[in-house]
Amino acid sequence: MEGSTVEHKAVLRHSRIWRPEIIEDIQAKAELGRYRFRGFSALLSRALPSFDDLTFIPCTLTRIPLEGYREKCSTKTLLGTRFAKKPIELAIPIMVTGMSFGALSLNAKVALALAANRCGTSSTTGDGGMLLAERENARTLIYEVLPSRYGFNIHHMKMADAIELTVGQGAKPGTGGLLLGAKVSEQIAHARDLPPGVDQRSPCRHPDWMGPDDMVIKIEELREATNWEVPIFVKMGATRVFDDVKLAAKAGADVVVVDGMEGGTGASPDVLLEHTGIPTLAAVCEARAGLEDVGLYGKVQLIIAGGIRTGADAAKALALGADAVYLGTATLIALNCNKPIYVEDYHKLGTEPYACHHCHTGRCPVGITTQDPDLVARLEVDSATDRVVNLFNALTAEIQMLARSCGKADVHDLEPEDLRALSLESSMITGVPLVGTNRVFGGGPGWKDRHG
Amino acid sequence: MAVVHCDGKTTKEINQEISELIAKGAKTIEVRSPSARHNLAVGLLQPVELLFKGSVGYYCGGMIDGARITVQGSAGWGLGECMMSGTVVVRGNAGNSAAASIRGGTVVIYGDAGARAGIAMKGGLLIIEGNCGAMAGFMMQKGTMIICGASGHGLADSMYEGTVFLGGEAASLGNDTKVCDPDEEERRFLKDMLSEHGIAAAHSFKKIVAGRRLWNFEKQEFELWKEVL
Repeated sequence: MEGSTVEHKAVLRHSRIWRPEIIEDIQAKAELGRYRFRGFSALLSRALPSFDDLTFIPCTLTRIPLEGYREKCSTKTLLGTRFAKKPIELAIPIMVTGMSFGALSLNAKVALALAANRCGTSSTTGDGGMLLAERENARTLIYEVLPSRYGFNIHHMKMADAIELTVGQGAKPGTGGLLLGAKVSEQIAHARDLPPGVDQRSPCRHPDWMGPDDMVIKIEELREATNWEVPIFVKMGATRVFDDVKLAAKAGADVVVVDGMEGGTGASPDVLLEHTGIPTLAAVCEARAGLEDVGLYGKVQLIIAGGIRTGADAAKALALGADAVYLGTATLIALNCNKPIYVEDYHKLGTEPYACHHCHTGRCPVGITTQDPDLVARLEVDSATDRVVNLFNALTAEIQMLARSCGKADVHDLEPEDLRALSLESSMITGVPLVGTNRVFGGGPGWKDRHG
Repeated sequence: MAVVHCDGKTTKEINQEISELIAKGAKTIEVRSPSARHNLAVGLLQPVELLFKGSVGYYCGGMIDGARITVQGSAGWGLGECMMSGTVVVRGNAGNSAAASIRGGTVVIYGDAGARAGIAMKGGLLIIEGNCGAMAGFMMQKGTMIICGASGHGLADSMYEGTVFLGGEAASLGNDTKVCDPDEEERRFLKDMLSEHGIAAAHSFKKIVAGRRLWNFEKQEFELWKEVL
């Protein structure tokens, strides 16, 4: 019938279920025939409960603040005071997490060690053994003992200032490390006793122990081999944190490290990055509750890792119960990760600055996560070191700024009472009252009450 | 010969006494009544000779570099694990994960070994006169394992490199294994090694190495990969 056709402009309707990245993912897997892997950290299709869901409530009339720009606020951090003859003393509560020589370039490893040294803090070896250049440049070096034991050397362990017995990591708890063939250079292969170019998939279980009962003996072995001098850390990915932290503490750890699901990695199956572990915010609360439950809070130190980006993140972790935080991805970003330089090389990888997660390819445009000598040369050690030092100084000043505003002369005096929750969810997770209500919803650090 | 009596002492005290004797120049030390204590003689870096008169627990001789340890009894888990060099000899049986991740040296077990013997070996030599349990040589990287008897399930699963010689039968082989016959030189090596350690094994050995199909991700072999990815 004449005039019956309704003129309309087509509106493209995109599915929230079949989003472009989902379609791309399915089509990529249809080509690959296997799971996908990549580096960096969880990209997340939804927002996680995070430290952003908390705010500090500084002093007003009920409490008196310290002068934010000038009054003294201690950042000294002691770790390993439980059993070790030589606990480690750090100038700041920010440490460099374990990242291997292999995942990272030599220049990146050395810059991180130098920067940690200049800031009076520690760096950590990683899954591939100790790099002597790292030992020479590090003030405090933590030696990781991992399931793979790649490059494990008793002489190196005896040179360390602390030992970290790694059970898992936040990026892929329950699964071992991954280093694709492109990064298994002759040098890396030699250090790890592997054939060059092999796609190295590390084991998830230690070769010589299984559960927490064995771990008690393993920890004693590490202490006997180092004359009970250095602290023993136990590092885990954040899963059943309340119970796992209790088991690690009971097994004799001096320090427990809990790495949340935001934790980064040089390479991981994408499915594990996105769909395993619990957020760092929840991890710190469960970890504290676990230590309190066994009467070891304050005796066993707690290090929190996984997506710590700012002084505010770190200060909130400290307020909730951490003694220190580990930084990984943030230090790499300070080194130049995702910086808009060598942009054409990002494009060659099919990505661009600010969206690069291609550490696994070994083609890092800025020389951090690569073993290619030409790319590594792009990371100039001295200036890279300066940038990490500057970042650590800035974060330390941010933590102090928040602590002083809350009237604290020591950053370790920050406490949950200094915080309020911005969402119901974060109130329930942390036990911090929701803003405007002064009520705790769900019980919070009383987490243990529901699981004890 | 210097002697350490373990009765009434903790592991820490025993290891301390061993260290003090070594510092005083003892070359040979006899340790009496170890009573299966864990963590005896771990992390020793001196080329000392230690004789344990009795059984030891977990990790005996773990992380050593150069010591020669003999156990006149049996051993618990992780015998000689992560050692760099030296010798650990057990007259009886050894528990799980014997010679785990060793980078060098020699471990000899005259009895049987439990599961995961030679797991993640990165060098060195492991000799088992008896049988061994499941998952022996799992993810082995380098080095040599000689099993004179039979092996449990999953022998030499997912090896990167390294060589396993098997005298008896394997309950099953692990993923990506390749079985072949030792060549002339290898047969001579086996004969020499066994006679050096006083093991009479007249029978022939099979040689098992990595099939190398798991070295790099390949979608073509999904049937293999789905077990191990």
